[in-house]
Amino acid sequence: MSALRVQNLSKRFGGLLATNDVSFDVAEHSLTALIGPNGAGKTTLFNLITNLFAPDSGVVEFNGISLAGLSPGRIAKMGLIRTFQTARVFPGMTVLENVLCGRHRLLGHGLFENMMWLPGARAEERRLATQALALLDLVGLADQAERSATDLPMGAQKLLEVIRALMAQPRLLLLDEPAAGLNDTETAELASLLRAVRACGVTVMVVEHNMSLVMTIADHVVVVEAGGLIAAGPPSEIQVNPRVIAAYLGEEPV
Amino acid sequence: MTELIQIVVGGIMQGSIFALLAMGFSLVYRVTGVINLAQGGFCTLGALLGFSMQSRLGLPPALAALGAVLVTSAFAALVGRVTFVPGLSRLTNSNMLMMSAGLLTLFEGLVLVVWGSQPYALPPFSGERPIAVAGLLLPTQGIWVMGVTFVIIVGLWYMLARTRLGQSLRACAENPTAARLVGVDVARMQLFSFVLAGAIGAVAGVVVGPAISLQFDTGRLLTISGFVAVAIGGIASFPGAIAGGLLLGLVGQLATAYVSSLFSNALALGLLLIVLIWRPSGLIRGAAGRRQDVRDEARVWTHVTRLSARTAWIGAFVLLVAGLVLPWVLDAGLLGALIITLILFITLIGLDVLMGYGGQISLGQAGFMAIGGYAAGYFTTAHDWPPVLAILAGIGISLVCAMILAGVTLRLRGLYMALATLAFGLLIDSCAIGFDDITGGPSGLVGIGDFDLFGFAFDTPLRMYYLVLGVVVLVLVAMAGAMRSGFGRALQAIRTDPLAAAALGVNVVGCKMAAFAISAVLASLAGSLYAFQFHFLSPDMVGTPRSLELVSMLVIGGEGTLLGPLLGSALLTVLPTAFQPLALYKTLASGVLLAGCSLYLPQGMFGALTRVLRR
Repeated sequence: MSALRVQNLSKRFGGLLATNDVSFDVAEHSLTALIGPNGAGKTTLFNLITNLFAPDSGVVEFNGISLAGLSPGRIAKMGLIRTFQTARVFPGMTVLENVLCGRHRLLGHGLFENMMWLPGARAEERRLATQALALLDLVGLADQAERSATDLPMGAQKLLEVIRALMAQPRLLLLDEPAAGLNDTETAELASLLRAVRACGVTVMVVEHNMSLVMTIADHVVVVEAGGLIAAGPPSEIQVNPRVIAAYLGEEPV
Repeated sequence: MTELIQIVVGGIMQGSIFALLAMGFSLVYRVTGVINLAQGGFCTLGALLGFSMQSRLGLPPALAALGAVLVTSAFAALVGRVTFVPGLSRLTNSNMLMMSAGLLTLFEGLVLVVWGSQPYALPPFSGERPIAVAGLLLPTQGIWVMGVTFVIIVGLWYMLARTRLGQSLRACAENPTAARLVGVDVARMQLFSFVLAGAIGAVAGVVVGPAISLQFDTGRLLTISGFVAVAIGGIASFPGAIAGGLLLGLVGQLATAYVSSLFSNALALGLLLIVLIWRPSGLIRGAAGRRQDVRDEARVWTHVTRLSARTAWIGAFVLLVAGLVLPWVLDAGLLGALIITLILFITLIGLDVLMGYGGQISLGQAGFMAIGGYAAGYFTTAHDWPPVLAILAGIGISLVCAMILAGVTLRLRGLYMALATLAFGLLIDSCAIGFDDITGGPSGLVGIGDFDLFGFAFDTPLRMYYLVLGVVVLVLVAMAGAMRSGFGRALQAIRTDPLAAAALGVNVVGCKMAAFAISAVLASLAGSLYAFQFHFLSPDMVGTPRSLELVSMLVIGGEGTLLGPLLGSALLTVLPTAFQPLALYKTLASGVLLAGCSLYLPQGMFGALTRVLRR
């Protein structure tokens, strides 16, 4: 079964057909890349999938369940977690607290248990903090845990957002340009992180501009241009697809 | 029939006052995106300056009026230059709202220091005798108000629509960044709009002054009337401001004539709530909609206020010991002030959860204190209920009100929540005065007994102190637990980025509701304790001024920090008691502190203290 099935999705903003009859599947446990030139409608697709705005027509199914009419919060609770194109770490909170926010949907202890400082609730908090630190350690941010999240450089903030999404234990992870603003070392860290995530059984879909990253980590690539789907297939096919080359990669394929 | 026409004409006269006030709001809002609560302060200042120039300096009335408007505008320019315009570039819209509340308090404090607290009756421009036209009696001052309103409307319209200056102002209103790029000096335009609003306010004060009784806190009432008027009409357009003002005036006069003057306020506020639910942007929408969330992105969060665990535990221990020992070293007056400090602190903790952590502004928190206080007083005196049961009843009623209010406000983003809570607080104010069978009316509810628990009476100040201290410690411990767990993190996430929070599965509406419920419960509890402490409760002890004072205390002490509000509460409660001669300056000082803290200490005194301790 597909983890995510997008069928005939369309969205119009005034005169602009931002998404035009797009259909594709994301196979379970795969790492799918969504690519396309600037303004092709990649982020719009993500926003439609997570119901930030409702599509004009078409269906999105997550593990066989239609997402139509569900709030972004409900969709997240089902295990479909996304990040944003510009890093949206929460200001006024530490790095560690930001990561802990990710686990919100799975917290076992409620408000009243925490108000009463019940041992179980405190133990959960400590356990989560340990896990969060371990995850932060994967991208070398563990020693920054007590810093204000917005004090981090932009690249680190993007990595932090990915870690925060991972803390949510997603079944399907949608990453919107995670490598934008990352330097080479950080990009390499991200690549190995994403491979590790997929190895853990999480399905990943990523919007990315960095072609070498896409071609090395993705096992399926979906290409959109001007709102419409123009190709889908394994990286080796996409690299030689003439329409893709014309639309996106230019004269010299990578 | 004549009677009805008389009432309608009275309503239009009253309405032109509101329209005049509303235009100042609309002008500043359109250019800067901020609701400037100081608007009413300009009126009081203008009116009293005019009065003094006439009576003390012996100037002729016209010259005195001109002088008053000029001096007020100059003062507005100074205040705008030092606080308002710098704030625009670094504060969120909601913090600007709070700062303007500080400016309003500052104006009040200034008037209190210069003119004292007694009411002034200003002489009308053309005698006391009303003019009779076709069987109608028209007060001459009302005609003056209508005439001046008309002249200002035409003048403003001409300036905005037909002059280059007006074009620049409108450019700032529609897109400040683009305006800056094409060479408009945006900061100067913002200052100009603030000063012009000040001048309009002063003119309004001068002509309206003789029609009302004027004292230091009249500005607050004028601010609220104007604010309600623009909210009803639509703040982003001048026709909206005018229509809202006239409608409010008419409803008020008709309600006074046919229902009761006590409930005319309640009806106007009911109207406001209906408009807020039905058309949040007001009856008449502006040409350019301003996004409520634009400046919130630019807010600089430089510091995370967290004490290290060790410092926190040591601090908590020291505070607890101090709390236990203090009553033995203080005299009776200071002990009383300390009890009040702690009772207000209970309300403030709730307000802090809502505002400091959750980012939802409430300007009606004293309304819940009133519910708690009157419930405690009424059920114990009239029905002989045990105090604990009465407190719980108050909490229950507060919760019901909070949930209804949340249903209204949670659909509304940004400043509408502030508006709706303000309307709620005012509604409770008029209920407290109106339902005199239960509340004792304006003179208050007397004869409230001591709090007792299973037969143990808290009948001495010392016992009351330890009771309140115990409640504070329990509430603090519970809230510390809540804030350092998922709920606290979710609230803070929602405060800055509700969308990203929702994308992580945070139930945004649920968390806001919970925060609002917590704040209502704590305010209600504090209100009950307040009633038991004084054995008496009157509307002005738990009215809207108290709500604004609570916000001041929170911001001065430090929002988003659990202990910070204690500093704010102590500063504004204990200091005026300890130094009685300074009590006169309390309002002025709290205004200066509120405006200053919003600008320079975004995390209040506690935030500054934390930074020192962390070094």
